[in-house]
Amino acid sequence: MRIPKADLPEDLPAGLLHPLFGLDHVAAMLAVGLWGAFLGLPALIVLPIVFPLVMAFGGVLGILGIPLPGVEIGIAVSAIVLGLMVALAARPHLAIAAVLVGLFAIFHGYAHGAELPDGADAVAYSLGFVIATGLLHLAGIAFGTVVRWPQGRIAVRAAGSVIALAGLVFLGRLI
Amino acid sequence: MKRGAAAAAGLLAAAMPAHAHTVIDGVSGFPGGFLHPLLVPAHALLLLTLGLLVGQQSAVRRRRLMPLFPVSLLAAIGLIAAAAAADSQALILWLCAINGALLALAWRLPPAVPAMLTIAAALALMLDSVPALLSVRDTLLALGGTAVAALLLFVLFVTLSACASRPWQIVGRRIIGSWAAASAVLVLALRFVK
Repeated sequence: MRIPKADLPEDLPAGLLHPLFGLDHVAAMLAVGLWGAFLGLPALIVLPIVFPLVMAFGGVLGILGIPLPGVEIGIAVSAIVLGLMVALAARPHLAIAAVLVGLFAIFHGYAHGAELPDGADAVAYSLGFVIATGLLHLAGIAFGTVVRWPQGRIAVRAAGSVIALAGLVFLGRLI
Repeated sequence: MKRGAAAAAGLLAAAMPAHAHTVIDGVSGFPGGFLHPLLVPAHALLLLTLGLLVGQQSAVRRRRLMPLFPVSLLAAIGLIAAAAAADSQALILWLCAINGALLALAWRLPPAVPAMLTIAAALALMLDSVPALLSVRDTLLALGGTAVAALLLFVLFVTLSACASRPWQIVGRRIIGSWAAASAVLVLALRFVK
């Protein structure tokens, strides 16, 4: 019987904190939540449900060491594109939004999977960072609910602009 | 987890824990196993009483009863081998992934599916919870404690889920399923690599 009590307190918090240490991750995850709030139903439901699963797929690719070129660039571009979607209040068809978000989710998941530390209580760590990612989405959605007011829409679109600019900074550092 | 599963196999196999393995030091494998029912008094007595009892029955009954014994011997070997070889933690992770995905999809399932998942989960939990280095008594007590705790948690979560009626609660349940499936898939990938 596994009794990883000694490991659990160290690995669950580590997993929870991991997505928060990458500003590029934080920016993109918040943008997903903001965009979901802008798109409304059913995107508001679909994105938080689908995103962890697609991200896990990307994580599996990272764990298996399957080459995926330009992961960090993909992550930076995700902040730019998703931030622009919010800034421009873009409302494409749900399928297009889902494909776009799914594509970027693979890059984010790949980065997390490849960074999974050895010896960690894997279940606790994975739960931690999946939950943290989901909570970032929810934070974005929560902030995005202010779109019901005109000033709120401006605030959310401004936040999208900030995220897109941050993405440009991240990309600039990589090039 | 293999140690726990092997201990489960030992628990199933041990008639008398002190003599559960080699009866004669240095004689193991098939010869050691062959000598086991001959030299362990309780086993020999059981075979004697059973053989005499079955022989006491009518010819028709004897013909029906006789095949039961070797079939049951083989079934027991199969169960013990399965228990020893089972990667119970992988099974638990697979069940987490399947349950989580089904929760996220919120499909209408045929009754057999949740029934099978319930049975599989209970078996996997207990198989993965066998303490490796305790006496039979302490092992059974530990397993009893695990079973009680598992049952209480199961009832709690079923009740909470059944009470989910508002849209945010129903969506939240699906999101939890998605998180759980994602985590389980990642860990399974890790195990595959390692």
